[in-house]
This record gives sequence, structure tokens and C-alpha cells, in this order.
Amino acid sequence: MSFITACCQISEEACAVNGNVIVRKDEQSADSWFKQLYKELALDYPKFYKMDMLAQAGFLASEFIKKAFPELVSSYADDEIALLFANSESSSDTDIRFKESFQKRKSPSPSLFVYTLPNIVLGELAIRNKFYGENMFAVFPKFAPEFFLQYGSVMLATGSKAVLAGWLNILKGKVEVSVFLIEENKADGLPFNKENIIKCVGLADQA
Amino acid sequence: MESLKEDLKKQIIEQLNLEDLQVSDIDDDSLLFSADGVGLDSIDALELIVLMEKFYGIQVTNPEEGKDAFLTINTMADYIEKNRN
Repeated sequence: MSFITACCQISEEACAVNGNVIVRKDEQSADSWFKQLYKELALDYPKFYKMDMLAQAGFLASEFIKKAFPELVSSYADDEIALLFANSESSSDTDIRFKESFQKRKSPSPSLFVYTLPNIVLGELAIRNKFYGENMFAVFPKFAPEFFLQYGSVMLATGSKAVLAGWLNILKGKVEVSVFLIEENKADGLPFNKENIIKCVGLADQA
Repeated sequence: MESLKEDLKKQIIEQLNLEDLQVSDIDDDSLLFSADGVGLDSIDALELIVLMEKFYGIQVTNPEEGKDAFLTINTMADYIEKNRN
């Protein structure tokens, strides 16, 4: 049996791990919300600043899960953790910025162009954590809990021991980020089922 | 020279879309292409080549020369000083 053993949610105003708010946005700060979260993590990973917001979202949420439960990631081999992410806005936020960059500057920006695919966040997570397992990024019209349940179950039945999953929607200031860890045979989590996926992602109204 | 370095940092932040960074976050001697420094990569090298031509009128055509020039803000500023018309 599989369980959801950790989850991190980030909205426009707050970041919560396992339902407990750990950081609230400081409206007075000169830093962006995601930079505030990065500073809270006290990491030294300058590549963060190069990522687009979608990749930053996946990076931050996964780092908060690792910070709260460091043994979760370290207890698996590099090919035993699968990545399973989805959203409904694809990479539109960066696609728009890329379009604007060549309209405004008359030359397309390579550093923006590399983020004009939503699955780039998976590459960033794989590079950061040296994950060599299965990975999948899907784009749906709306939040689809069944996808996580069905595809996650397939991943766990075909060699993966854990799945880092997430719903990441970033568009024009909208921040809808939930990342959760699914593990086999860990009785101290929530059973991996549709109801608990909805609970973790916090989008009951869209499911 | 100091204003050139300041200007260079501003251009790098803007052209490389590093809007979460501030000028004060980049030291003059930080390695631009090191994970311990600014963490730029090969895509950013392309952006820097374009930046040099667009804003300083310098074409970086020799890869070896570019490698040395793009080490740090200090080396970039030196390179600009020596090569701009």
C-alpha cells in the first residue's frame, strides 16, 4: 500500500508544509515572494535565480519537503524516486515573457527560451537531486486527481519506490503550487487515494 | 571603471532575465560560470556574447578569448576597456 507522507503548498501569500503555514509573504520586502522563500531555505544554489517561476515553484516546494523530512530523499537510490507533475497553464507565463522579449528587444532571449516547455522543471529537480527515475509532466484542462492516482500507481508498480508529485500552476501572478511525496509501505502518512490527493493539492473546488 | 562594472551587472541581470538578483548580489570577482558564483551556463554565454556586441560594440569571435573575458565582472570590464572603440 502507498501513502502520501509529505506535502507542501505555496499560494500567493503563504507556504505550508503538511498543512502548517511556515512562511507568510512579507509585503514590505523588496524581494519577490519566491526570493523570500528561497532565502528562508538558506540554500546556496545560484541556479535558482536563472529558473523561470514554474521551475522555481517546483524547486522551492520540493526543497521545503526535503527540509522538513531530510531522510525522505536520502533513503532512496537515485533511480527509485519518480517525478510526476502536471498543470493546466503549461509554460504560458514564460511563453508570454519570451514573446514579449523578442517583440521588445527585437532579439529572442535564449535564457527565456529554454523554459518555454513545462517539463523543464523536472530537469531542474533531477539535476538538483540527481534523480534518475521515471518522470512525467502532463497538461490538463483542469486539476485531475485521477491522473496522479493512476499514473503514480503505475510508477510504483513498475520499479519506483517513491513518487514526488506536484500540481504547479503559474500565470501572471497566480501561484497554485502543491508538491507531495508518495511512498510505499509507510504507515505514517495519508493513504494514496483520490480524496487525499485532493486534500493535499487543496483544489477540491476544481476536482 | 566602477560605473562600467555597475552597468555591466545591470545589463547582465536584465538581459539574462535574472530579475530576482540585485546588483549588490553579484561581486566583482564572483565566478560567473561557477555554481559557487553566479551559476551561469552555456545558454547565458550566448546572451553575454550578444550583450557585448549590442551594448559595447564588441564582437567576441575567439572562443578562448571569450572564456577568459567572461570569468568575472572584473575580467569582463577589463575586456570591454581594452576592446571598445
